[in-house]
Amino acid sequence: MAVARDSTSSTRFAQFKLVLLGLDSYMLLSLLADGRLFRLSCQTTGCTDCFAYLGESAVGKSSLVLRFVKDQFDDYRESTIGAAFLTQTIALDESTTIKFEIWDTAGQERYKSLAPMYYRNANCAVVVYDITQAASLDKAKSWVKELQRQANENIIIALAGNKLDLDAKRQVETAAAEAYARESGLLFFETSAKSGENVTELFTAIAKRLPLETASTRQRTAPKGVDLNRPNRRAPAASNNGCTC
Amino acid sequence: MSATSSTAPPDTCDVLVYGSGLVESIAAAALAWQGTNVLHLDDNPYYGGLWASLNLEELKTWTDKINNPTANDTPFSNAYLYISRNLDPRKYAIDISPHVLFTRSDLLNLLIQSRVSRYLEFKPLGSFHTFEQDSFEKVPGSKEDIFTSQNLTLLTKRSLMRFMKFVVIWDETPDVWLEYKGKPISSFLKDKFSLDQPQIVELVHSIALLPSLSSPTELALDRIKRYLTSMQVYGNFPAMYSMYGSGGEIAQGFCRSAAVAGAVYRLGTKLSRFDDESGVAVLENGEKIKVTEKLITSHGLVPGDQEITRMVAVVEKDCKEWFAEGESAAIVVFPSDTLDGNRYAVQALVLGSGSGQVPTGQAVWYLSTQESGEQGRKDLFLALEKMEESILRESTEDFEFDVSEEDIAYLPNGMPVVSSVRLGESLRNFTPKESLKYLLKLTYTQKVTVAPQQNPSSKTIYVPAPSIDIVYDGILSQAQAVYESVTGTVEDFFDVDFEDEDDDATATGNPPDTSIRDVADMDDENLGDHQDFDEEVAGEMTI
Repeated sequence: MAVARDSTSSTRFAQFKLVLLGLDSYMLLSLLADGRLFRLSCQTTGCTDCFAYLGESAVGKSSLVLRFVKDQFDDYRESTIGAAFLTQTIALDESTTIKFEIWDTAGQERYKSLAPMYYRNANCAVVVYDITQAASLDKAKSWVKELQRQANENIIIALAGNKLDLDAKRQVETAAAEAYARESGLLFFETSAKSGENVTELFTAIAKRLPLETASTRQRTAPKGVDLNRPNRRAPAASNNGCTC
Repeated sequence: MSATSSTAPPDTCDVLVYGSGLVESIAAAALAWQGTNVLHLDDNPYYGGLWASLNLEELKTWTDKINNPTANDTPFSNAYLYISRNLDPRKYAIDISPHVLFTRSDLLNLLIQSRVSRYLEFKPLGSFHTFEQDSFEKVPGSKEDIFTSQNLTLLTKRSLMRFMKFVVIWDETPDVWLEYKGKPISSFLKDKFSLDQPQIVELVHSIALLPSLSSPTELALDRIKRYLTSMQVYGNFPAMYSMYGSGGEIAQGFCRSAAVAGAVYRLGTKLSRFDDESGVAVLENGEKIKVTEKLITSHGLVPGDQEITRMVAVVEKDCKEWFAEGESAAIVVFPSDTLDGNRYAVQALVLGSGSGQVPTGQAVWYLSTQESGEQGRKDLFLALEKMEESILRESTEDFEFDVSEEDIAYLPNGMPVVSSVRLGESLRNFTPKESLKYLLKLTYTQKVTVAPQQNPSSKTIYVPAPSIDIVYDGILSQAQAVYESVTGTVEDFFDVDFEDEDDDATATGNPPDTSIRDVADMDDENLGDHQDFDEEVAGEMTI
């Protein structure tokens, strides 16, 4: 988590770690492939070519973009989405930009073998279930429990019932999931990664809950780790919070 | 709609990795990125294997396990654990094989190149102290320190500078040291550079972090050079440590990297049998997995002849008196013969709450010695006592310092500094009223283990247990050797073209070469003239 003010434009820029659970990578990809998040990030700069942005700077072209373009989802195995994690920028309002450092579970979710590193310092989490599969909500509930056990006390958790486009095959009633979310203090959305419905709303709702102000004051006092990308006495480069495409 | 592979467990893999210690995890990630189908298991419910950092619940289980081993399967033994009541177990991360990372090291280069460093947070380690005559002296690890030191005679300063000038290019000038290659470093330093005992002790124990003054010259020179050239790579510190734990955290990072490249992870899964002929692995639950290439395992090693005695103490003090400003870590070394005749040095790594390993207001002390058995324990307890006395003295606020003018040195910019040795001496007779509260104490023994004799055509590759050294030397070459025995080459080891370069990543891969010349350029002839010395320092230092 980092917050900085850009001296030239007085925009606030905050970075948060977001973990995704209960979501197979296919869904993550379609969620991102849809481009809505990217469109959102580029609204302020008037950029239209968001797909290029995605290819250039968010994820590995070789792995992800080829998979999009050539539609190779069928033989898609676990997860091959770049080397570290995805980053995703959202312009919350005219002066606030939020960058999500998105961690997917890679091949560590299936056997519940997530490393403590995964939960560590996570500011927010999206736990996804499939509204067409009743069992997936139970699985999501167990991930919520795990988050409450392992992660920061004040982590913001959103529950997302995905595949809203397949409403006809619905097995999980909205009211039941919503009641559970309310009891457990979670944000709740039903989304469709396919159509993009509520995806933007979900991420924006999380962004709005994030503690921007406390983050900025805490950042100043906390001892900083060594920036391995910037050896010896080099002044840190200004954070690039705009769209570069 | 969802990927089919996420339902059926894989019943086949190219390489099965058993154990998630640092070497296996690096190898697993390298193999996964190379395209090998990797299944990675660990019988523990946590990552890191023999390198793990454990919370207090896990630590209790671990202690029980190593005291009652089911098989000859752990290099650890003889654990004694005390944990104070009412501690929140999850607020602690106790590192069972603590290590520090020099800023110039092959492992750091790999961490940056593989992007695994992005999962981790490294903190600076700039304070290296040597215990001498009941006080801790900060090691003069740079020419600035040597210049400003009030405890070195001009002659000593000149000898030291001459040595430092040599040591950064030692490997290019074999004529100077070749006859001393495997001989004790102390003889070399004395004969060739006329260094006095205190300087030899500091160079060998605190800078080279070697256990004995008779360590071989070649090794010692390499490590002294590494310390000096690691200074100023990222700042005024030669080393770093990873938050929340050392090798276990780095291993986790490589496991995640492997998972991103397609490796499958299963913790808490025991491998019951492996048939080397057929390559069939049988898990504890009866599940069978066909391994087409190799089994890489950190289990089934046999004890070697070296061992190390370790102690961990969590204290209710932040210990900031030992840390440099803005840092949360220090190394304290008790040289041989400073603790009632100890044969080997005792090393202590002190980490404050900034390490993420203990809560605010506390610190964890990791002590170790290559002395074995009861004597090893005795040395560690003596060192612990000295550390306790020292931190109580240094952290007492109502004590009035008796510092006279000659105890104060002035830096070239006019800033006064108090000589820490003098401070230690004047504090020596002070008896603290408070006592130190220990929240946790743990002692245990760690053996060096080696791979058993095996047939060269075997499908099984053994991975050695963590070295007893506090640095990560040799880890990368071990991982590369494992990789090579699977793929037949190391040429494509982590040869991955990451194309997800984003705005944060401007790294070129390797830190620039900045400090070697900086140190070597020093002209020792100028040291005699105070005027020249001031000018030179003013010209070169940036404070």
